[in-house]
Amino acid sequence: MSTDYYPIQQPEDLPAREREDAMGGYFMMFASLAAGLPLPIINLIAAIIYYHVNKHKSRFVRFHSLQSLLSQLPVSLLNAGLVVWAISFFKYDFNFDNTFLSYLIVVILANLLYLGFSIAAAIKARKGLMYYFIFFGKLSYEIVYKVKDEEEQIYRNNPPI
Amino acid sequence: MIFEIRHQESYSRGELILRAIFGYLYIALPHAFLLFFLLIWSSILGFIAFWSILFTGRYPESFFEFQTKFIKWEMRVNARIMHLCDGYPGFGLDVEDENIKFYVPYKEDISRSNALIKFLFGWLYVGIPHGFALFFRIIGTFFVQFVAFWIVLFTGEFPKKMHDFIVGTSRWAQRVNLYLGFMTDTYPPFSGHRQENELGYEFDRTEPENNQ
Repeated sequence: MSTDYYPIQQPEDLPAREREDAMGGYFMMFASLAAGLPLPIINLIAAIIYYHVNKHKSRFVRFHSLQSLLSQLPVSLLNAGLVVWAISFFKYDFNFDNTFLSYLIVVILANLLYLGFSIAAAIKARKGLMYYFIFFGKLSYEIVYKVKDEEEQIYRNNPPI
Repeated sequence: MIFEIRHQESYSRGELILRAIFGYLYIALPHAFLLFFLLIWSSILGFIAFWSILFTGRYPESFFEFQTKFIKWEMRVNARIMHLCDGYPGFGLDVEDENIKFYVPYKEDISRSNALIKFLFGWLYVGIPHGFALFFRIIGTFFVQFVAFWIVLFTGEFPKKMHDFIVGTSRWAQRVNLYLGFMTDTYPPFSGHRQENELGYEFDRTEPENNQ
């Protein structure tokens, strides 16, 4: 396994267009608002599409779109849980208990935290800077910047077994 | 903005009948299916572009490119459904259509205050007056389209004035769309005619490099 990494582009080497594309990735969290659907999964789908559309543009754009996508997973799961729980209120007896309240507070805090980090990352990306989220930053860097062994990328055709 | 649909010297009557009877099935339906998903994506990018303009004063260039390609695709399909040109519209965002010319100059700086006003009151000072005027224009367009259909069927020629009128309606609607979509700061005129800065870019000319 290779331990080499591709060099990170510096702000002066990045054209405005690439910086904007990198910034755009973090705005995918607002996608459900734009689509007019209060479903958290829309944000995730939008982030996946955005990543696949932009991943070949440059490593800088790919890193930021991937970090945005991966970091959305936990928040989206939390939000989805809240939606399912809230829907169950209508289906079954309404029971606004303390467990739900505490979960609601956790979800709100997680969203606010995510919003803050995303805005900070979007501003950095617009300036052509790297910004690493806890865990997801390192993971995205490993996926995008790590040099992969040539042999792994070559697909060999084989006769049928 | 430059928007033109080529006026052909002669039109195929066979295609006209085919489009009139089965057009919605073999043109509109497959394209609409794909355009529906692109429309969702377009509205997401448009919404994000608004916030981007508000904070940075720029419409992200790649978003802008996507929006113009998406509109181009819509125009290709509409032109066939409205019998303005022959041929089957191509699938895809990067397809070039020799019968349709659509170009929107990319503006580096978009007014943030203008974008905010549009977002909050666009429906009031653009939507209502233009919607009112376009409502009657569209009724007229349907009538002209109906008459033109029979003329093409019997003569094989689309009267130029009628063609221009129908294209003008689309051009007008598109200008409103672009203005409300934050892609331009120029208030749309109450007319379907080409504006002074849009003249001279007919089909035999190349697209301008930096036309503002």
